[in-house]
Amino acid sequence: MARMDQPDRFRRMLRAGGARFSREAAQRPILTFEEVFKSYREGAPVLRGMNLVIERGEFVFVTGPSGSGKSTLLRMLYRAEAVDDGRILFLGRDVARLRDDAVPFLRRNIGVVFQDFKLVTSWSVYENVAIVLEVLGLPQRLIRARVGEALERVGLAGRGEDPAGVLSGGEQQRVAIARAIVGEPALLLADEPTGNLDPQLAIDILGLFEEINESGTTVLFATHDRTLLEVRARRVVVLDEGKAIDVPNGIATDEYDNRLPL
Amino acid sequence: MISVSTTRRARRGMVREWRLHALSVFSLAVAFVCLGASLLVVANLRVVEQRWAHAGRASVYLKDGATQDEVDALRLALARVPGVTGVHYVSSGDARAQFGQTQLEANAALAGLPVEAFPASIELDVTPDLPDADLADMVGKMKQLPAVDDVETYQAWTERLARLVRGGVAASGLLALVVLAAVLAVVGSTMRMALQRRKTEVEVLKLVGATDGFVKKPFVVEGSVQGALGAVGAVGLLAVLFVVVRGRLDGELAALVGVEPTFLPWPVVIGMIALGGMLGAIASLASLRKLVAV
Repeated sequence: MARMDQPDRFRRMLRAGGARFSREAAQRPILTFEEVFKSYREGAPVLRGMNLVIERGEFVFVTGPSGSGKSTLLRMLYRAEAVDDGRILFLGRDVARLRDDAVPFLRRNIGVVFQDFKLVTSWSVYENVAIVLEVLGLPQRLIRARVGEALERVGLAGRGEDPAGVLSGGEQQRVAIARAIVGEPALLLADEPTGNLDPQLAIDILGLFEEINESGTTVLFATHDRTLLEVRARRVVVLDEGKAIDVPNGIATDEYDNRLPL
Repeated sequence: MISVSTTRRARRGMVREWRLHALSVFSLAVAFVCLGASLLVVANLRVVEQRWAHAGRASVYLKDGATQDEVDALRLALARVPGVTGVHYVSSGDARAQFGQTQLEANAALAGLPVEAFPASIELDVTPDLPDADLADMVGKMKQLPAVDDVETYQAWTERLARLVRGGVAASGLLALVVLAAVLAVVGSTMRMALQRRKTEVEVLKLVGATDGFVKKPFVVEGSVQGALGAVGAVGLLAVLFVVVRGRLDGELAALVGVEPTFLPWPVVIGMIALGGMLGAIASLASLRKLVAV
Protein backbone atom coordinates (compact mmCIF):
# COMPACT_ATOMS: atom_id res chain seq x y z
CA MET A 1 0.00 0.00 0.00
CA ALA A 2 1.26 3.45 -0.83
CA ARG A 3 2.52 5.28 2.19
CA MET A 4 0.81 8.62 2.74
CA ASP A 5 3.31 11.40 2.58
CA GLN A 6 2.21 13.16 5.76
CA PRO A 7 5.26 15.46 6.05
CA ASP A 8 4.60 16.69 2.54
CA ARG A 9 0.97 17.29 3.41
CA PHE A 10 2.08 19.31 6.43
CA ARG A 11 4.58 21.24 4.36
CA ARG A 12 1.95 22.02 1.75
CA MET A 13 -0.26 23.41 4.47
CA LEU A 14 2.56 25.49 5.86
CA ARG A 15 3.44 26.72 2.41
CA ALA A 16 -0.07 28.09 2.12
CA GLY A 17 0.96 30.51 4.85
CA GLY A 18 3.41 32.15 2.45
CA ALA A 19 6.70 30.28 2.89
CA ARG A 20 8.03 28.03 0.16
CA PHE A 21 9.10 24.43 0.72
CA SER A 22 12.67 23.62 -0.29
CA ARG A 23 14.54 20.30 -0.53
CA GLU A 24 17.30 21.83 1.57
CA ALA A 25 14.79 22.32 4.38
CA ALA A 26 13.81 18.65 4.12
CA GLN A 27 17.38 17.63 4.99
CA ARG A 28 17.36 19.57 8.26
CA PRO A 29 16.91 17.81 11.63
CA ILE A 30 13.33 16.77 12.31
CA LEU A 31 13.34 18.68 15.61
CA THR A 32 15.39 21.60 16.83
CA PHE A 33 14.92 23.36 20.14
CA GLU A 34 16.63 26.75 20.24
CA GLU A 35 16.84 28.63 23.54
CA VAL A 36 13.38 27.45 24.61
CA PHE A 37 11.94 29.03 27.73
CA LYS A 38 8.79 27.88 29.49
CA SER A 39 7.45 28.93 32.84
CA TYR A 40 4.17 28.26 34.62
CA ARG A 41 4.96 30.51 37.58
CA GLU A 42 6.96 33.67 37.65
CA GLY A 43 10.50 33.03 38.88
CA ALA A 44 10.24 29.25 38.53
CA PRO A 45 10.90 28.37 34.90
CA VAL A 46 10.57 24.74 33.83
CA LEU A 47 12.76 25.15 30.77
CA ARG A 48 15.40 27.87 30.66
CA GLY A 49 17.09 28.30 27.32
CA MET A 50 16.96 24.63 26.38
CA ASN A 51 18.77 23.57 23.21
CA LEU A 52 18.37 20.20 21.56
CA VAL A 53 18.62 18.72 18.09
CA ILE A 54 16.98 15.44 17.05
CA GLU A 55 17.69 13.90 13.68
CA ARG A 56 15.24 12.01 11.50
CA GLY A 57 14.75 8.37 12.43
CA GLU A 58 16.27 8.68 15.91
CA PHE A 59 14.97 6.98 19.04
CA VAL A 60 15.53 9.28 21.99
CA PHE A 61 14.67 8.78 25.63
CA VAL A 62 13.73 11.96 27.47
CA THR A 63 14.15 11.61 31.19
CA GLY A 64 14.60 13.59 34.37
CA PRO A 65 13.10 13.90 37.83
CA SER A 66 9.45 14.77 38.38
CA GLY A 67 8.74 18.36 37.42
CA SER A 68 11.82 18.59 35.23
CA GLY A 69 9.69 19.41 32.18
CA LYS A 70 9.49 16.11 30.26
CA SER A 71 5.76 16.35 29.64
CA THR A 72 5.98 20.11 29.08
CA LEU A 73 8.57 19.57 26.38
CA LEU A 74 6.33 17.08 24.57
CA ARG A 75 3.19 19.18 25.05
CA MET A 76 4.91 22.19 23.49
CA LEU A 77 5.72 20.05 20.47
CA TYR A 78 2.07 19.39 19.64
CA ARG A 79 1.08 22.87 20.80
CA ALA A 80 -0.89 21.88 23.86
CA GLU A 81 1.38 24.39 25.61
CA ALA A 82 2.65 27.68 24.31
CA VAL A 83 6.36 28.47 24.19
CA ASP A 84 7.32 31.54 26.22
CA ASP A 85 10.46 32.23 24.25
CA GLY A 86 12.78 30.55 21.77
CA ARG A 87 12.02 28.37 18.75
CA ILE A 88 10.93 24.77 18.24
CA LEU A 89 11.50 23.80 14.64
CA PHE A 90 9.58 20.75 13.42
CA LEU A 91 10.37 19.85 9.82
CA GLY A 92 11.98 23.26 9.51
CA ARG A 93 8.95 25.24 10.68
CA ASP A 94 8.60 27.04 13.99
CA VAL A 95 5.83 25.29 15.93
CA ALA A 96 5.65 28.13 18.44
CA ARG A 97 4.61 30.57 15.77
CA LEU A 98 2.04 28.52 13.91
CA ARG A 99 -1.37 30.11 13.58
CA ASP A 100 -4.09 28.46 15.67
CA ASP A 101 -5.87 27.19 12.57
CA ALA A 102 -2.66 25.41 11.49
CA VAL A 103 -2.31 23.47 14.76
CA PRO A 104 -4.62 20.58 13.70
CA PHE A 105 -2.43 20.04 10.63
CA LEU A 106 0.69 19.99 12.83
CA ARG A 107 -0.94 17.33 15.02
CA ARG A 108 -1.72 15.15 12.02
CA ASN A 109 2.04 14.74 11.63
CA ILE A 110 2.67 13.81 15.24
CA GLY A 111 1.47 10.66 17.00
CA VAL A 112 1.11 10.92 20.76
CA VAL A 113 0.88 8.10 23.33
CA PHE A 114 -0.05 8.92 26.92
CA GLN A 115 0.43 7.24 30.26
CA ASP A 116 -3.35 7.15 30.79
CA PHE A 117 -3.92 5.94 27.20
CA LYS A 118 -6.59 8.57 26.45
CA LEU A 119 -8.91 6.12 24.74
CA VAL A 120 -12.64 6.66 24.34
CA THR A 121 -13.69 3.66 26.38
CA SER A 122 -17.23 3.58 24.98
CA TRP A 123 -15.84 3.16 21.46
CA SER A 124 -14.58 -0.06 19.98
CA VAL A 125 -10.88 -0.68 19.39
CA TYR A 126 -11.46 -0.10 15.67
CA GLU A 127 -13.26 3.20 16.25
CA ASN A 128 -10.49 4.49 18.51
CA VAL A 129 -7.89 3.87 15.83
CA ALA A 130 -9.97 4.76 12.78
CA ILE A 131 -10.80 8.26 14.03
CA VAL A 132 -7.32 9.46 13.03
CA LEU A 133 -7.97 8.54 9.42
CA GLU A 134 -11.54 9.86 9.51
CA VAL A 135 -10.10 13.22 10.51
CA LEU A 136 -7.91 13.02 7.40
CA GLY A 137 -11.02 12.33 5.32
CA LEU A 138 -9.84 9.01 3.90
CA PRO A 139 -12.41 6.68 2.29
CA GLN A 140 -13.83 3.96 4.55
CA ARG A 141 -12.32 1.13 2.48
CA LEU A 142 -8.84 2.54 2.96
CA ILE A 143 -9.50 3.24 6.64
CA ARG A 144 -10.50 -0.40 7.24
CA ALA A 145 -7.32 -1.66 5.58
CA ARG A 146 -5.02 0.79 7.40
CA VAL A 147 -6.60 0.18 10.81
CA GLY A 148 -6.29 -3.57 10.27
CA GLU A 149 -2.57 -3.17 9.52
CA ALA A 150 -2.00 -0.95 12.56
CA LEU A 151 -3.78 -3.37 14.90
CA GLU A 152 -1.72 -6.22 13.50
CA ARG A 153 1.50 -4.27 14.14
CA VAL A 154 0.63 -3.84 17.82
CA GLY A 155 -0.50 -7.44 18.23
CA LEU A 156 -4.25 -6.80 18.35
CA ALA A 157 -5.30 -8.31 15.04
CA GLY A 158 -8.93 -9.40 15.13
CA ARG A 159 -9.73 -7.37 18.26
CA GLY A 160 -11.27 -4.41 16.39
CA GLU A 161 -14.82 -5.03 17.54
CA ASP A 162 -13.92 -5.27 21.25
CA PRO A 163 -14.97 -2.31 23.37
CA ALA A 164 -11.81 -0.42 24.36
CA GLY A 165 -13.02 -0.10 27.94
CA VAL A 166 -12.87 -3.84 28.66
CA LEU A 167 -9.25 -4.33 27.56
CA SER A 168 -6.36 -4.76 29.99
CA GLY A 169 -3.94 -1.87 30.59
CA GLY A 170 -1.32 -3.35 28.27
CA GLU A 171 -3.90 -3.90 25.53
CA GLN A 172 -5.28 -0.38 25.94
CA GLN A 173 -1.79 1.01 25.55
CA ARG A 174 -1.35 -1.04 22.38
CA VAL A 175 -4.57 0.48 21.03
CA ALA A 176 -3.21 3.93 21.86
CA ILE A 177 0.00 3.08 19.99
CA ALA A 178 -1.98 1.82 17.00
CA ARG A 179 -3.89 5.10 17.01
CA ALA A 180 -0.63 7.03 17.15
CA ILE A 181 0.97 5.20 14.22
CA VAL A 182 -2.01 4.57 11.93
CA GLY A 183 -1.63 7.99 10.33
CA GLU A 184 2.06 7.25 9.67
CA PRO A 185 3.28 10.37 11.44
CA ALA A 186 6.79 11.75 11.04
CA LEU A 187 7.23 11.92 14.81
CA LEU A 188 5.95 9.70 17.60
CA LEU A 189 5.81 11.15 21.13
CA ALA A 190 5.37 8.89 24.13
CA ASP A 191 4.66 10.56 27.46
CA GLU A 192 5.39 8.00 30.19
CA PRO A 193 3.66 5.28 28.13
CA THR A 194 4.70 2.51 30.52
CA GLY A 195 3.87 4.37 33.72
CA ASN A 196 0.71 2.32 34.35
CA LEU A 197 2.11 -1.04 33.26
CA ASP A 198 4.01 -3.79 35.08
CA PRO A 199 7.75 -4.14 34.29
CA GLN A 200 7.43 -6.98 31.76
CA LEU A 201 4.63 -5.22 29.89
CA ALA A 202 6.71 -2.06 29.95
CA ILE A 203 9.57 -3.86 28.20
CA ASP A 204 7.11 -5.26 25.63
CA ILE A 205 5.71 -1.82 24.92
CA LEU A 206 9.22 -0.39 24.62
CA GLY A 207 9.98 -3.12 22.09
CA LEU A 208 6.92 -2.08 20.13
CA PHE A 209 8.16 1.52 19.97
CA GLU A 210 11.55 0.27 18.80
CA GLU A 211 9.91 -1.71 16.00
CA ILE A 212 8.05 1.39 14.94
CA ASN A 213 11.30 3.36 15.04
CA GLU A 214 12.98 0.77 12.81
CA SER A 215 10.39 1.52 10.13
CA GLY A 216 11.71 5.11 10.02
CA THR A 217 9.52 6.98 12.50
CA THR A 218 11.36 9.31 14.90
CA VAL A 219 10.45 8.46 18.49
CA LEU A 220 10.69 10.65 21.60
CA PHE A 221 10.07 8.47 24.62
CA ALA A 222 9.65 10.33 27.90
CA THR A 223 10.10 8.19 31.00
CA HIS A 224 11.44 8.33 34.51
CA ASP A 225 11.72 4.53 34.63
CA ARG A 226 15.44 3.96 35.01
CA THR A 227 15.17 0.23 34.24
CA LEU A 228 13.95 1.02 30.74
CA LEU A 229 16.91 3.34 30.18
CA GLU A 230 19.31 0.69 31.37
CA VAL A 231 18.05 -2.13 29.17
CA ARG A 232 18.63 -0.22 25.95
CA ALA A 233 21.75 1.63 24.85
CA ARG A 234 19.92 4.50 23.25
CA ARG A 235 20.41 8.23 23.23
CA VAL A 236 19.09 9.81 26.40
CA VAL A 237 18.23 13.46 26.94
CA VAL A 238 18.19 14.31 30.63
CA LEU A 239 16.26 17.39 31.65
CA ASP A 240 17.66 19.13 34.69
CA GLU A 241 17.47 22.68 35.93
CA GLY A 242 15.60 23.60 32.76
CA LYS A 243 18.42 22.47 30.46
CA ALA A 244 18.93 19.37 28.33
CA ILE A 245 21.94 17.13 29.03
CA ASP A 246 22.66 14.84 26.11
CA VAL A 247 23.88 11.27 26.73
CA PRO A 248 24.37 10.07 23.16
CA ASN A 249 24.95 6.38 23.83
CA GLY A 250 22.62 5.93 26.76
CA ILE A 251 23.11 5.47 30.48
CA ALA A 252 23.71 1.73 30.11
CA THR A 253 27.18 2.43 28.73
CA ASP A 254 30.37 3.30 30.57
CA GLU A 255 30.05 6.89 29.36
CA TYR A 256 27.21 7.43 31.76
CA ASP A 257 28.13 9.99 34.35
CA ASN A 258 26.78 9.19 37.78
CA ARG A 259 26.41 12.86 38.49
CA LEU A 260 23.35 12.99 36.24
CA PRO A 261 20.21 13.65 38.28
CA LEU A 262 18.45 10.31 37.77
CA MET B 1 -21.33 19.45 4.27
CA ILE B 2 -22.21 16.45 6.49
CA SER B 3 -19.89 13.51 5.94
CA VAL B 4 -20.51 9.83 6.65
CA SER B 5 -18.18 10.14 9.64
CA THR B 6 -20.17 13.08 11.02
CA THR B 7 -23.45 11.21 10.63
CA ARG B 8 -22.04 8.09 12.25
CA ARG B 9 -20.56 9.99 15.19
CA ALA B 10 -23.82 11.92 15.67
CA ARG B 11 -25.85 8.71 15.57
CA ARG B 12 -23.46 7.04 17.99
CA GLY B 13 -23.71 10.01 20.35
CA MET B 14 -27.51 10.02 20.24
CA VAL B 15 -27.79 6.26 20.76
CA ARG B 16 -25.36 6.25 23.69
CA GLU B 17 -26.95 9.31 25.31
CA TRP B 18 -30.53 8.44 24.32
CA ARG B 19 -32.05 9.26 27.70
CA LEU B 20 -30.57 12.74 27.67
CA HIS B 21 -31.72 13.31 24.10
CA ALA B 22 -35.20 11.89 24.73
CA LEU B 23 -35.67 14.27 27.66
CA SER B 24 -34.54 17.15 25.51
CA VAL B 25 -36.88 16.19 22.65
CA PHE B 26 -39.82 15.95 25.09
CA SER B 27 -39.07 19.41 26.51
CA LEU B 28 -38.86 20.85 23.01
CA ALA B 29 -42.12 19.12 22.01
CA VAL B 30 -43.91 20.84 24.92
CA ALA B 31 -42.59 24.21 23.76
CA PHE B 32 -43.58 23.52 20.17
CA VAL B 33 -47.08 22.40 21.20
CA CYS B 34 -47.73 25.94 22.48
CA LEU B 35 -46.62 27.42 19.18
CA GLY B 36 -48.47 24.78 17.15
CA ALA B 37 -51.72 25.26 19.09
CA SER B 38 -51.56 28.97 18.52
CA LEU B 39 -50.94 28.45 14.81
CA LEU B 40 -53.82 25.97 14.68
CA VAL B 41 -56.21 28.56 16.13
CA VAL B 42 -54.93 31.21 13.72
CA ALA B 43 -55.26 28.85 10.75
CA ASN B 44 -58.89 28.07 11.60
CA LEU B 45 -59.77 31.72 12.28
CA ARG B 46 -58.30 32.59 8.91
CA VAL B 47 -60.45 29.94 7.22
CA VAL B 48 -63.55 31.38 8.93
CA GLU B 49 -62.54 34.90 7.98
CA GLN B 50 -62.04 33.93 4.35
CA ARG B 51 -65.31 32.02 4.31
CA TRP B 52 -67.22 35.02 5.66
CA ALA B 53 -65.32 37.57 3.62
CA HIS B 54 -66.41 35.73 0.50
CA ALA B 55 -69.81 34.72 1.72
CA GLY B 56 -71.35 36.58 -1.20
CA ARG B 57 -74.50 37.32 0.80
CA ALA B 58 -76.38 40.29 2.15
CA SER B 59 -79.66 40.53 4.09
CA VAL B 60 -82.07 43.40 3.42
CA TYR B 61 -84.39 43.64 6.45
CA LEU B 62 -87.79 45.07 5.68
CA LYS B 63 -89.87 47.43 7.80
CA ASP B 64 -92.87 45.90 9.55
CA GLY B 65 -95.27 48.00 7.49
CA ALA B 66 -93.83 47.12 4.10
CA THR B 67 -96.59 46.11 1.65
CA GLN B 68 -96.38 43.16 -0.70
CA ASP B 69 -96.29 45.57 -3.67
CA GLU B 70 -93.30 47.39 -2.19
CA VAL B 71 -91.57 44.08 -1.55
CA ASP B 72 -92.20 42.87 -5.11
CA ALA B 73 -90.97 46.14 -6.59
CA LEU B 74 -87.87 45.97 -4.40
CA ARG B 75 -87.15 42.38 -5.46
CA LEU B 76 -87.37 43.31 -9.13
CA ALA B 77 -85.16 46.35 -8.65
CA LEU B 78 -82.54 44.41 -6.70
CA ALA B 79 -82.43 41.62 -9.29
CA ARG B 80 -81.32 44.18 -11.87
CA VAL B 81 -78.45 45.56 -9.75
CA PRO B 82 -75.00 44.59 -11.20
CA GLY B 83 -73.27 42.03 -8.95
CA VAL B 84 -76.49 40.60 -7.52
CA THR B 85 -76.93 37.00 -8.65
CA GLY B 86 -79.93 35.92 -6.61
CA VAL B 87 -82.87 37.44 -4.71
CA HIS B 88 -84.92 35.44 -2.19
CA TYR B 89 -87.79 36.75 -0.05
CA VAL B 90 -87.96 35.40 3.53
CA SER B 91 -91.18 36.25 5.36
CA SER B 92 -91.41 36.64 9.16
CA GLY B 93 -92.97 33.21 9.36
CA ASP B 94 -90.22 31.62 7.27
CA ALA B 95 -87.55 33.33 9.41
CA ARG B 96 -89.13 32.04 12.60
CA ALA B 97 -89.38 28.54 11.15
CA GLN B 98 -85.68 28.57 10.08
CA PHE B 99 -84.57 29.84 13.46
CA GLY B 100 -86.66 27.20 15.17
CA GLN B 101 -84.95 24.42 13.22
CA THR B 102 -81.54 25.34 14.47
CA GLN B 103 -82.00 26.90 17.89
CA LEU B 104 -85.36 26.45 19.52
CA GLU B 105 -85.00 22.74 20.05
CA ALA B 106 -82.11 23.52 22.36
CA ASN B 107 -83.82 26.36 24.16
CA ALA B 108 -87.48 25.93 24.78
CA ALA B 109 -87.69 29.35 26.45
CA LEU B 110 -87.34 30.99 23.02
CA ALA B 111 -90.21 28.97 21.61
CA GLY B 112 -92.75 31.48 22.79
CA LEU B 113 -91.37 34.39 20.79
CA PRO B 114 -94.03 36.03 18.57
CA VAL B 115 -93.66 35.86 14.82
CA GLU B 116 -93.14 39.66 14.74
CA ALA B 117 -89.83 39.19 16.50
CA PHE B 118 -88.44 37.85 13.23
CA PRO B 119 -88.36 40.60 10.58
CA ALA B 120 -89.05 39.73 6.97
CA SER B 121 -86.04 40.11 4.70
CA ILE B 122 -84.77 39.81 1.18
CA GLU B 123 -81.66 37.63 1.00
CA LEU B 124 -79.27 38.63 -1.76
CA ASP B 125 -76.60 36.49 -3.39
CA VAL B 126 -73.81 38.72 -4.63
CA THR B 127 -70.73 37.75 -6.60
CA PRO B 128 -67.84 36.94 -4.21
CA ASP B 129 -65.46 39.19 -6.13
CA LEU B 130 -67.71 42.25 -5.78
CA PRO B 131 -65.46 45.09 -4.55
CA ASP B 132 -66.13 46.31 -0.99
CA ALA B 133 -66.67 49.89 -2.26
CA ASP B 134 -69.40 48.76 -4.70
CA LEU B 135 -71.07 46.73 -1.97
CA ALA B 136 -70.98 49.68 0.42
CA ASP B 137 -72.43 51.95 -2.29
CA MET B 138 -75.22 49.46 -2.96
CA VAL B 139 -75.99 49.17 0.76
CA GLY B 140 -76.13 52.98 1.07
CA LYS B 141 -78.65 53.24 -1.76
CA MET B 142 -80.79 50.40 -0.41
CA LYS B 143 -81.03 52.02 3.01
CA GLN B 144 -82.68 55.07 1.38
CA LEU B 145 -85.60 52.98 0.15
CA PRO B 146 -88.84 53.43 2.16
CA ALA B 147 -89.49 49.70 2.70
CA VAL B 148 -85.96 48.92 3.92
CA ASP B 149 -85.21 48.95 7.65
CA ASP B 150 -81.55 47.80 7.62
CA VAL B 151 -78.98 46.00 5.46
CA GLU B 152 -76.52 43.43 6.86
CA THR B 153 -73.47 42.48 4.74
CA TYR B 154 -71.47 40.60 7.42
CA GLN B 155 -68.54 42.93 6.73
CA ALA B 156 -68.39 43.99 10.39
CA TRP B 157 -68.02 40.33 11.39
CA THR B 158 -65.32 39.84 8.83
CA GLU B 159 -63.43 42.85 10.17
CA ARG B 160 -63.74 41.57 13.73
CA LEU B 161 -62.45 38.20 12.65
CA ALA B 162 -59.59 39.85 10.77
CA ARG B 163 -58.63 41.68 13.96
CA LEU B 164 -58.81 38.40 15.86
CA VAL B 165 -56.56 36.74 13.28
CA ARG B 166 -54.07 39.61 13.50
CA GLY B 167 -54.06 39.24 17.29
CA GLY B 168 -53.54 35.50 16.90
CA VAL B 169 -50.63 36.05 14.52
CA ALA B 170 -49.06 38.47 17.00
CA ALA B 171 -49.56 35.95 19.83
CA SER B 172 -47.98 33.27 17.64
CA GLY B 173 -45.03 35.56 17.02
CA LEU B 174 -44.55 35.99 20.77
CA LEU B 175 -44.89 32.25 21.30
CA ALA B 176 -42.30 31.70 18.57
CA LEU B 177 -39.92 33.84 20.61
CA VAL B 178 -40.71 31.76 23.70
CA VAL B 179 -40.05 28.61 21.67
CA LEU B 180 -36.79 30.13 20.43
CA ALA B 181 -35.69 30.76 24.01
CA ALA B 182 -36.79 27.26 25.04
CA VAL B 183 -34.88 25.62 22.19
CA LEU B 184 -31.76 27.66 22.93
CA ALA B 185 -31.93 26.77 26.62
CA VAL B 186 -32.84 23.10 26.26
CA VAL B 187 -30.57 22.20 23.34
CA GLY B 188 -27.76 24.35 24.75
CA SER B 189 -27.94 22.59 28.12
CA THR B 190 -28.17 19.17 26.50
CA MET B 191 -25.18 19.85 24.30
CA ARG B 192 -23.10 21.15 27.19
CA MET B 193 -23.95 18.01 29.16
CA ALA B 194 -23.18 15.81 26.16
CA LEU B 195 -19.91 17.66 25.67
CA GLN B 196 -19.00 17.14 29.31
CA ARG B 197 -19.76 13.43 29.08
CA ARG B 198 -17.78 13.16 25.86
CA LYS B 199 -14.89 15.31 27.03
CA THR B 200 -12.35 12.55 26.37
CA GLU B 201 -13.73 12.09 22.87
CA VAL B 202 -13.33 15.78 22.11
CA GLU B 203 -9.85 15.80 23.64
CA VAL B 204 -8.80 12.81 21.55
CA LEU B 205 -10.23 14.34 18.39
CA LYS B 206 -8.28 17.53 18.90
CA LEU B 207 -5.10 15.62 19.70
CA VAL B 208 -5.26 13.65 16.46
CA GLY B 209 -5.63 16.83 14.43
CA ALA B 210 -9.38 17.37 14.10
CA THR B 211 -10.39 20.91 13.29
CA ASP B 212 -12.98 22.66 15.45
CA GLY B 213 -15.49 22.20 12.63
CA PHE B 214 -14.91 18.43 12.57
CA VAL B 215 -15.41 18.25 16.34
CA LYS B 216 -18.53 20.42 16.35
CA LYS B 217 -20.41 18.94 13.38
CA PRO B 218 -21.88 15.85 15.12
CA PHE B 219 -23.07 17.99 18.02
CA VAL B 220 -24.72 20.40 15.59
CA VAL B 221 -26.39 17.49 13.80
CA GLU B 222 -27.58 16.15 17.16
CA GLY B 223 -29.00 19.55 18.12
CA SER B 224 -30.72 19.85 14.78
CA VAL B 225 -32.26 16.39 15.05
CA GLN B 226 -33.43 17.16 18.58
CA GLY B 227 -35.12 20.38 17.43
CA ALA B 228 -36.77 18.69 14.44
CA LEU B 229 -37.93 15.70 16.51
CA GLY B 230 -39.33 18.08 19.14
CA ALA B 231 -41.38 19.78 16.42
CA VAL B 232 -42.49 16.43 14.96
CA GLY B 233 -43.56 15.29 18.43
CA ALA B 234 -45.52 18.51 18.92
CA VAL B 235 -47.28 18.14 15.55
CA GLY B 236 -48.15 14.52 16.39
CA LEU B 237 -49.52 15.49 19.79
CA LEU B 238 -51.55 18.33 18.27
CA ALA B 239 -52.91 16.00 15.59
CA VAL B 240 -54.16 13.57 18.25
CA LEU B 241 -55.72 16.41 20.27
CA PHE B 242 -57.26 17.84 17.10
CA VAL B 243 -58.90 14.53 16.17
CA VAL B 244 -60.29 14.11 19.70
CA VAL B 245 -61.64 17.68 19.90
CA ARG B 246 -63.03 17.66 16.36
CA GLY B 247 -64.91 14.44 17.09
CA ARG B 248 -66.74 16.20 19.91
CA LEU B 249 -67.33 19.65 18.40
CA ASP B 250 -67.49 19.11 14.68
CA GLY B 251 -71.24 19.47 14.09
CA GLU B 252 -71.83 22.39 16.44
CA LEU B 253 -68.77 24.29 15.27
CA ALA B 254 -69.58 23.82 11.59
CA ALA B 255 -73.16 25.03 12.13
CA LEU B 256 -71.97 28.02 14.14
CA VAL B 257 -69.28 29.39 11.85
CA GLY B 258 -70.14 27.76 8.56
CA VAL B 259 -66.83 25.92 8.13
CA GLU B 260 -65.31 22.68 9.37
CA PRO B 261 -62.21 22.88 11.59
CA THR B 262 -58.98 22.16 9.74
CA PHE B 263 -55.58 20.97 10.94
CA LEU B 264 -52.35 22.88 10.33
CA PRO B 265 -51.61 23.22 6.60
CA TRP B 266 -48.65 21.16 5.33
CA PRO B 267 -46.43 24.20 4.69
CA VAL B 268 -46.90 25.24 8.35
CA VAL B 269 -46.10 21.70 9.57
CA ILE B 270 -42.98 21.51 7.39
CA GLY B 271 -42.04 25.04 8.45
CA MET B 272 -42.32 24.12 12.14
CA ILE B 273 -40.10 21.06 11.68
CA ALA B 274 -37.57 23.07 9.67
CA LEU B 275 -37.65 25.80 12.32
CA GLY B 276 -37.01 23.18 15.00
CA GLY B 277 -34.07 21.75 13.10
CA MET B 278 -32.59 25.15 12.38
CA LEU B 279 -32.99 26.43 15.95
CA GLY B 280 -31.53 23.20 17.31
CA ALA B 281 -28.46 23.57 15.11
CA ILE B 282 -28.00 27.24 16.06
CA ALA B 283 -28.44 26.51 19.77
CA SER B 284 -25.94 23.69 19.52
CA LEU B 285 -23.39 25.86 17.73
CA ALA B 286 -23.84 28.64 20.27
CA SER B 287 -23.24 26.26 23.18
CA LEU B 288 -20.07 24.85 21.59
CA ARG B 289 -18.27 28.14 21.15
CA LYS B 290 -15.75 27.21 23.81
CA LEU B 291 -14.49 23.73 23.07
CA VAL B 292 -12.27 21.77 25.39
CA ALA B 293 -8.86 23.40 25.15
CA VAL B 294 -6.10 20.89 24.44
